[in-house]
Amino acid sequence: MNTKQLIEENNQKRKHLTKENKDYYEDMLVYIRLAYDKSEEETEEVLSEMLDHLLIAQEEGKTAEDIFGHDKKAFADEIICELPKMLTKNQLSLMFMGIFFFLATALGASGLFDTIAYHLFNFGSLYKTYYLGTESVNLVLSIIFSLLFLVLILQYLKWSSIKNLNSVVEFLVTWMIGVMTSGSFFVIYYFMPDFGYTYQVPAYIKIIIGVGFAIIGYIINKRR
Amino acid sequence: MAIRSQLLKGILEGCILAIIEKQPVYGYELSVKLQDFDLEVSEGSIYPILLRLQKEKLIRGQMEKSPSGPNRKYYYLTEDGQKSLEEFRHNWEWIKKPVDHILRKGRGNEHKTINRRK
Repeated sequence: MNTKQLIEENNQKRKHLTKENKDYYEDMLVYIRLAYDKSEEETEEVLSEMLDHLLIAQEEGKTAEDIFGHDKKAFADEIICELPKMLTKNQLSLMFMGIFFFLATALGASGLFDTIAYHLFNFGSLYKTYYLGTESVNLVLSIIFSLLFLVLILQYLKWSSIKNLNSVVEFLVTWMIGVMTSGSFFVIYYFMPDFGYTYQVPAYIKIIIGVGFAIIGYIINKRR
Repeated sequence: MAIRSQLLKGILEGCILAIIEKQPVYGYELSVKLQDFDLEVSEGSIYPILLRLQKEKLIRGQMEKSPSGPNRKYYYLTEDGQKSLEEFRHNWEWIKKPVDHILRKGRGNEHKTINRRK
């Protein structure tokens, strides 16, 4: 039985929970699944065990709070703390998948943007000049920043899944993360001086390479 | 009852190993068995312990089809688990009597002091 089947089974079984138990269990489920450095298989196994337990206990008239305690965060933290770390190989392929999808999106979007701007609005050019030095530094910095923001967002989601924030606070925090992300990319690209070899890249090549990276990312995800 | 200390955690771990030694169990079954022995722990608290015992390779979990249908994760005692259980039994025998003795004697002295004050 693999992880995907377990997740699917969990989705089906969860429907049998009462509203109160479902809310409690799902908060815990989101919180535990967001612990990104843990073995996915073990995580899903223990989640399914606890769901089975809760379903039987529910029949006996007990609530999730009776079973797992009133402090769901403390209990979930205890579970996370005992879960084994994810296999490094799996973690690495996840990271590479992320990097390939990131490159695919950046290249594809830039290629598409150039094509549309040129043909529809007669703006810019299909051939852009790039500086090898500038681009490689930008690339490395972008990857580092993306990973940092990813960790930040995961931490935030984990934290907010247990706290019941009001929607204004939630909106503000999401907005702030968004501004910080796009802001820092803008700062990197705008203020980076031009240096290194220059070369010209036509827009369609960018799209082709972008699609190629997306396919590699997809294959890595399939084989994971 | 919440598990209050390392001591209680260790004892509960030993008891879980002893139950699994008799017969492989799944999570809910284990909590029922603990209750049958009047060990009143909160039901959910067995899951962090089961994870830890697996991490230390004292028990081994295996997903199996249960007679009634759904997949269940059954736990088996490993060789290391067997050794650890023997060690727990040994330690428990070694500490049980003296601790009982000390606790009883301590209470006895208290009574005496109170009596003398009267």
